[in-house]
Amino acid sequence: MLSRTAADLYWLSRYFERAENTARMLDVAWNLSLIPFAVDAREEITAPLVITGSLASYQASHDDIRVDEVMHFFTLDDGNPGSIFHCLRAARESAHAVRGKITAEMWESVNSTWLELREIRELGLEGYGASEFFDWVKNRSHLFRGATYGTSMRNDAFRFLRLGTFIERADNTARILDVKHQIGRAAGDGAVDFYRWHALLRSVGAYEAYREIYSEPINAERVSELLILRPEVPRSLRSCMQMLCELLPAIEGHAGQQSKRLAAVQFARLQYGDLDHIVDTGLHEYLTDFLRRVNELADTIREEYLEVV
Amino acid sequence: MGPLSLPDVSGYDEMILPGGKVRDAYKGYHRWLLGQAHDGLLRKRKEAELQFHRVGITFNVYGEESGTERLIPFDALPRVIPAADWRRLEQGAIQRVRALNLFLHDIYHDQTIVRAGLVPAEQIFGNAQYQPCMQDLDLPNRVYSHISGVDVIRDGAGTWYVLEDNLRTPSGVSYMIENRRMMMRLFPELFAHQSVAPVEHYPSLLLETLQESGAVPNPTVVLLTPGRFNSAYFEHAFLAQQMGIELVEGADLFVKDGFVFMRTTAGPQRVDVIYRRIDDDYLDPLAFRPDSMLGVPGLLSVYREGNVILANAVGTGVGDDKSIYPYVPDMIRFYLDEEPILANVPTWQCRDPKALDHVLAHLPELVVKEVHGAGGYGMLVGPAASHAEIEAFRERLRARPANYIAQPTLSLSTCPIFVDEGIAPRHIDLRPFVLSGKDTRLVPGGLTRVAMSAGSLVVNSSQGGGTKDTWVLEDGSC
Amino acid sequence: MKLSIRHRTEYRYSERVRHSTQYLRLTPRPSRRQRILDWHLDLPEHATRAADGFDNILHVLTLDHPHQSIELTARGQVEIVDEDREDDDARLSPLVFARTSALTATDEALADLARDYEGAGSLDSLERLSQRILDDMPFAAGVTDVASDAAAAYRGGQGVCQDHTHVFLACCRALGIPARYVSGYLYSDDSEHVASHAWAEVWRDDRWHTFDVTNQTRRPRHHLKLAVGLDYLDACPVRGVRYGGGVESLNAVAHVRLTGAEQ
Repeated sequence: MLSRTAADLYWLSRYFERAENTARMLDVAWNLSLIPFAVDAREEITAPLVITGSLASYQASHDDIRVDEVMHFFTLDDGNPGSIFHCLRAARESAHAVRGKITAEMWESVNSTWLELREIRELGLEGYGASEFFDWVKNRSHLFRGATYGTSMRNDAFRFLRLGTFIERADNTARILDVKHQIGRAAGDGAVDFYRWHALLRSVGAYEAYREIYSEPINAERVSELLILRPEVPRSLRSCMQMLCELLPAIEGHAGQQSKRLAAVQFARLQYGDLDHIVDTGLHEYLTDFLRRVNELADTIREEYLEVV
Repeated sequence: MGPLSLPDVSGYDEMILPGGKVRDAYKGYHRWLLGQAHDGLLRKRKEAELQFHRVGITFNVYGEESGTERLIPFDALPRVIPAADWRRLEQGAIQRVRALNLFLHDIYHDQTIVRAGLVPAEQIFGNAQYQPCMQDLDLPNRVYSHISGVDVIRDGAGTWYVLEDNLRTPSGVSYMIENRRMMMRLFPELFAHQSVAPVEHYPSLLLETLQESGAVPNPTVVLLTPGRFNSAYFEHAFLAQQMGIELVEGADLFVKDGFVFMRTTAGPQRVDVIYRRIDDDYLDPLAFRPDSMLGVPGLLSVYREGNVILANAVGTGVGDDKSIYPYVPDMIRFYLDEEPILANVPTWQCRDPKALDHVLAHLPELVVKEVHGAGGYGMLVGPAASHAEIEAFRERLRARPANYIAQPTLSLSTCPIFVDEGIAPRHIDLRPFVLSGKDTRLVPGGLTRVAMSAGSLVVNSSQGGGTKDTWVLEDGSC
Repeated sequence: MKLSIRHRTEYRYSERVRHSTQYLRLTPRPSRRQRILDWHLDLPEHATRAADGFDNILHVLTLDHPHQSIELTARGQVEIVDEDREDDDARLSPLVFARTSALTATDEALADLARDYEGAGSLDSLERLSQRILDDMPFAAGVTDVASDAAAAYRGGQGVCQDHTHVFLACCRALGIPARYVSGYLYSDDSEHVASHAWAEVWRDDRWHTFDVTNQTRRPRHHLKLAVGLDYLDACPVRGVRYGGGVESLNAVAHVRLTGAEQ
């Protein structure tokens, strides 16, 4: 497969995944900001800016951190390269470039997402409804993933699409999990903590998994274990790395030795990792190290498979 | 809204005879049409538009914000060509393209046609489209123009004329195929009752043509596009997909050790044949325009060594230049010893002072075209132009006469289209696509372009023209 | 006359170049007036050798791995036969060289200049044109660059051999006279003189005639031809495309010495 085609497929699914994760993250912040008695709305709404590393660029164009402005910044703002609008447009452009390599149904799911998004943008987030919009983004992502799963040939095109998904997801899950550190101070009472962890679990769709696996009340250590180490949870770091480890060796040809090694090493660290090690290291330090490794892997994949001149 | 009635026509209409009867080839279609209601057909038109948008059959327009996508208007009333007419057209187009390929081979080798005094040497060697790097280069099958678009029209009397030849990177064939698919989707019953010759095999014929142009068995063929902002990008992606070959951009290819390679996820892979949809000037920044990054540095050196085939060849522009067009009938006689089957439109070459005088004296009646122009830009349609436009053009013409040719304004034939009010005649042309490999052939059909506004003669899609499906009826069908 | 040439070109880049491809016209073609006694190119990697459309000897050098410099050296010995008559390569119609190019397009000033020599068309009148060009734009380095076209250089009133040649070609072509660009080396006993050189050839009376505008000579006895073409871009010794690399710095040194008995 052409390196450029692989790159477009990879970025198509990465951007779609990023749009979905952004919607999930905002959904939490939005809901928490609506519970005034429990938390400081302003703090909750700062979290997405910190998680995504876009606080500075937000502040460059905004005087104040206000819920509606942050929401707009992350959803329909053309000027923010991390906005859902921007991600879905980039996804659509990548899809357009590889139209011949994806099925008609995949293309149509991407294209109609873009066309609908343009209409939503006309209405504005308030006009359409924030919660409705986040659900819509998640649904469009489910639709695209379903179209991909249900119609794509199991070839390298499929593998590069999946690579993009899991690299992005590993990065996003780690960032979301690091939110507590990012907010900056030890949270107040147990109730606030509970709300936060509860919301975080919901945001990654792992609330049911937690209830299924653990009988104890929601707490930081179990949530970390769940989202880092558990193989049953599809958004856990371990699941993401496992997928990457399966995908890379399946790609045709002999390229990508270093990518395969990095993925395998990182997978082994999770596969044979345990909670005590994470606690000893410190969650934030552990996640920072993980993010560095994932980015190194992404860079290596780009160099070994995706780069044209 | 009720049933549809046929409009009155003046001049030659493809469907309707003076007096309101329909031509034989349209009888079957007309029977069906009588059973249709206007609003039903308007709904079908909407459905077609929706479908084209969904599938992404769009067209990027020059001069607008990059990435602007627009649909080429599609008309659902087919243009029907009777079998006998088609056979003549087919033979005429093949004859013409064979002669043009022989001409290109000749001028890039012994130049017998120049020695014979039929074409002046400066018309060839002074032409910027003549590429010195092609001199004495031998090409497989002696084919220069593998894919040729021959634009034909009918005049008011119904006679076919060749308006121009397109030997560089002719486009539009994807619409020929997509229009047919759309018609079969919208009106499957129409195809059950008439035998319309299929065009869907064009991509496989094209692939075959490209493969047999290669110098090695089982060549790796790719399609080289300028990229997604090119006006014809949809077509490039469409054809690559239909042929099952890679759609590449310049940055995907590189030259090393005398060969062309593409960058793949499994390492560099050799490329043998390039169906390029990039103009000569942009093919190799080391040989042509240095400021272009669309092409492949070093490509020309590999091409000249015979280690990669380009389709079409470099330097075919000297064959379809409007200054060369007047000589094509002579070429047919010279190389094939045959009489031309399809006529040329009478042409005045303004480089000739006598011709220039005539043209200047008759500007309001004539169509004047830039010799190197394309896409309907930089031309004057005398009868449709204002006095001021004509006078402005007169100055340009006087300043650089050699830059222009002039032709009588032919009243192109019309064909009915669906409009909001019902059915109305509009001017049309036709571009069949001729493929040249080991032999020369074409699929029965082509791209019919339509001037969408009443009376207009400009059919170019870049200027608002539309398209319709083109039916070649097989014998015994009506 | 025997000449010994050593021409070293070095490109350095501020950042990593991911990929580069060069067309090198650094090897002279033997002809009636120049015998190649021996010639070598020292290149960072193997380059494929071919001929271009003007029959120049072309090497294609591709570096498909990260690099931060490229060093090219051409060296060898040639004998210039004391005869100014050039081979008349009939392969390509001379009419091709009557055609203008981007670098030799005329503006109003150049068209006016050419018009002063209209009608004459003789070699002598072209010699006067050549003299006029050098008067109008005396030699000065650093005023123009390799991308300057004839019109801009003439407007600037100064230039190097490349500009003189382009202006001369522009005028010849405006007069309908085929003329071509030549790049090569020039021997000069003044060691300060630039050894890389460019001049023109004009097609008159079924043969090519040399016009070295910069040196006001029509006898190319100290000239070694490397390549010909419509303009600089066709004939220049090194033409390359690179991806990445940042800022480029170029260091080129050419030495031409007399060798053998005449030394």
